[in-house]
Amino acid sequence: MRSVTKLRRSTLLRAAAAAALIAGLGMGVAQAAGVTLVETGSTLLYPLFNIWVPHFEAIYPGVKITTQGTGSGAGIAQAISGVVQVGASDAYMSDQQVKQNPDILNIPLAISAQAINYNLPGMNNKHLKLSGPVLADIYTGKIGMWNDPAIEALNPGLKLPDHKIIPVHRTDGSGDTFIFSQYLDFSTPAWASTVGYGTTVSWPAVQGGLGAQGNPGMVEALKQNPYAIAYIGVSFHKEVSEAHLGQAMLLNKAGKYVLPTPRTISAAADELVGKTPADERISLIFAPGAMSYPIINYEYAIVNTKQRDAATAKAVKDLLTWASNTGNKPVYLKQVEFMALPPAIKKLSAAQIAKIGG
Amino acid sequence: MKRQAKRLNLFRLTLTSIAIVIPVSLIIIVVFLGQYAWQAIGFNGIRFLGTIDWSLGNLYMNPVVTRGYQVPIGADYGILAFIVGTLFSSLLALLFALPVAVGTAIFLSEAAPDRVRPVLSMLVELVAVVPSVVFGLWGIYVLAPLISHYIGPGITAVLGFIPFFNMNNSTGSGFGLLAAGTVLALMITPIIATTLYDALRQVPLDLRESAVALGATRFEVVTKIMMPTVRITLIGGVVLGLGRALGETMAVLMVSGGALNYLPKTIFTPISTMAAFILSQLDSALQDPTNMAVKSLAEIALVLFVITLGVNAVARMIVRGATFVRNI
Amino acid sequence: MSATFDVKARRSALETKRIVSSAVGWGLCGLAFLLVAVPLLDLVLTITIKGASAFSISLFTTSSNGVTGGLLAAIVGTAVLSLGSLVFAVPIGVGAGMYLSEYGQNRLGSVIRFLSDTLTGMPSIVLGYFSYITMVIGLGWQFSALAGAITLAIMVVPYLARITELSLQRVPVQMREAAYALGAQERTVAFKVVLAAGAPGVITGVLLGLAISVGETAPLIYTAGWSNYLWNGKLTNQPIGYLTYVIWTFINQPYKSAHALAFAAALLVMLVVLAINIGVRVVLRPRT
Repeated sequence: MRSVTKLRRSTLLRAAAAAALIAGLGMGVAQAAGVTLVETGSTLLYPLFNIWVPHFEAIYPGVKITTQGTGSGAGIAQAISGVVQVGASDAYMSDQQVKQNPDILNIPLAISAQAINYNLPGMNNKHLKLSGPVLADIYTGKIGMWNDPAIEALNPGLKLPDHKIIPVHRTDGSGDTFIFSQYLDFSTPAWASTVGYGTTVSWPAVQGGLGAQGNPGMVEALKQNPYAIAYIGVSFHKEVSEAHLGQAMLLNKAGKYVLPTPRTISAAADELVGKTPADERISLIFAPGAMSYPIINYEYAIVNTKQRDAATAKAVKDLLTWASNTGNKPVYLKQVEFMALPPAIKKLSAAQIAKIGG
Repeated sequence: MKRQAKRLNLFRLTLTSIAIVIPVSLIIIVVFLGQYAWQAIGFNGIRFLGTIDWSLGNLYMNPVVTRGYQVPIGADYGILAFIVGTLFSSLLALLFALPVAVGTAIFLSEAAPDRVRPVLSMLVELVAVVPSVVFGLWGIYVLAPLISHYIGPGITAVLGFIPFFNMNNSTGSGFGLLAAGTVLALMITPIIATTLYDALRQVPLDLRESAVALGATRFEVVTKIMMPTVRITLIGGVVLGLGRALGETMAVLMVSGGALNYLPKTIFTPISTMAAFILSQLDSALQDPTNMAVKSLAEIALVLFVITLGVNAVARMIVRGATFVRNI
Repeated sequence: MSATFDVKARRSALETKRIVSSAVGWGLCGLAFLLVAVPLLDLVLTITIKGASAFSISLFTTSSNGVTGGLLAAIVGTAVLSLGSLVFAVPIGVGAGMYLSEYGQNRLGSVIRFLSDTLTGMPSIVLGYFSYITMVIGLGWQFSALAGAITLAIMVVPYLARITELSLQRVPVQMREAAYALGAQERTVAFKVVLAAGAPGVITGVLLGLAISVGETAPLIYTAGWSNYLWNGKLTNQPIGYLTYVIWTFINQPYKSAHALAFAAALLVMLVVLAINIGVRVVLRPRT
């Protein structure tokens, strides 16, 4: 008798637990009334998204956006696979990717640039002059020392240290790697014929060359390693200058050395944005013009035209429309040294955003 | 009576089918990996294990047919550098861990006062449970700067005449083979030490007594009488530790420096291990429209699995009856 | 006379040598112990000091916004993922352990035992990779609590099975025999006698499994994803944050606030893991 009641009790208990579990699940579904979006990818765009999101959510209270800086490669890949709604990328998709995934759009949200930074103890207040070919030689290991004649030739009068260079590259699939390797590719035939460009390139073997994760990892790697050099998106300019790291002047197509400033970035943009096609996939690297900074790019949102439901589609459209208009105001972009999209580009973007549906 | 037999069988059947879930899930994982990596195995062939260059190829040009497979231009998947990185860092870890673990086990079992022994042995056990990402954090914050500023120059000063130990032959960041080996050593020392400690505690008392009666000092009893009896257990513990080191991901990823396309020429040079490389490259590989890169990563996972499987099988053969999970 | 003296002197020289080398040996053993203990203490101390200085009320009441804010969402997420993994792992792990202990003394038992140990040795990133391709993409669950919890469960189940087996085997055979003699059914014996008697060991296993889940990172990065927001109860199609992600990602950010959060998260994870491990060792230690 007793064992029967006991048995019944435990069965009851189990049933109650199961009911509680099911109720919990049901509640969970009921709670998820608003739309949640996931943004992942470019670490160059990540600081701006972190600035944007609270302002956007204040205007669109039903939408919640999680931001993640995982690298542009992840942004593109996960937007294609549908794991995230918005992929962020400094690189546009390749022709092959577009062919295979005709539903995926590349929508510029702002214009960005990339700096070459270094940690040379005692010399970080000076702007070294560097060129594509010299950088290519550093990243292929042909130039191994800071006082190499090739670097000294570009910087007469500077006493460069007799120390090995630590070239730092990105380990994650990265739009910064894309635009950096594109600069080397466009400016240095030897690089173009061996390494080429991409979000991931096969870095030539340089003993001691370091890999870092994301732009933040690049800044940390520079801070931790004197005599290192790295390519870092301008959205980290504040962190770079707070860490007292050096910033290089780069040789542009017209043969002038320029720093990434609003003037030189706009100058480069003015040269090339007019050529932007309807799908907005275009390289802005190594622009002509004496004032043009050679490494600038569109910051893309990579999104699928077919979202999982109408509410999600609307949220994505709202976000992209807001970001490329209100979000382009200097109050936001100034904090990360980005430039606003020209009106013609906003129009192209709006046409693409209109294609997104449920 | 008949009814009871039927219920009894049902009960056993339920338990059996639950137990079978474990091997089935293992088999599913392995078969899946094998099937997923199949094309990569065909494309890469034996070069996979023997070459150093890992290149996804030019992802911005249209793929071409190479050796009968659609892949990006210039795609080449060689993992020798990662195999070397994995083996070197694990062996370095063993080199550090083995003497330290033996000393620790002897100290705990023979020298530590009875009153504090449980506390001290727990301290050693706790090292094994610190999450690997926390080890990585400590590695970034404490160990790498230590190597860069003190340990590295120290080793160079003493052993610098051997190129492999000369920091000037590398670029001198603290991240690399030595940092990875040290963190791994910390993680596997307690595994070896506790295995050995348990065995030492079980050496029969009369064996020690007879040695003491023959006039041996206590230390001689330990080294000459007890250690030989626990040799097999020690080897088993070492292989278990090796298995753990080979598959470790987070801590190694955080301190190894993320080398690509070269073999380490010094103990200070950055490396990559197979496990860490899978984690750091999955996103990049997903970018490849031909999927060959992702499949090659699956092949790395397969190779890593085969290596750890081999190591664990050897360990199990040596330590018959002992289990992977420590008996707490 | 002098001959005896000589023998004595030689003997004592040899003895001295042996005593000295023994002393050196003990010294080295003590040093070895320090080489294990000191890094652990340094690690605990570094993380405690750095982490505790980042503690505040808002750390536990707000969620992170990018790289600033609190850890509420991550704390909740870690709890959901690790407890969620137990929902899958406990029935399977304990059931398999019962099978191995009560009926596993045959060929099937040893095959299961070997493959279970093999699964334990499988690198966690390989499991994460498997789950990413199958569950996150293949089944379309996207980054989700379910994919993360199941991946953790795959890691925990074999541990739990073997610990359960070991603790049930310690239950004396006489207890089983006595129960059968009283006419108890097999199932009653298994649950009410064997499992009840072995409960401390099984609970130890469950708690250790929980500790493993709390400390894991690699299998979650591609399964659970990451979220700034408090988990909203959805099992799939909704990424979820967790503490170890904060440690691994935020330490790489060039912001003081991010570093502080990373250390605070590390301290929390370490406290939970150490508390569980010390707890089971002190309270449930069956060893005498």
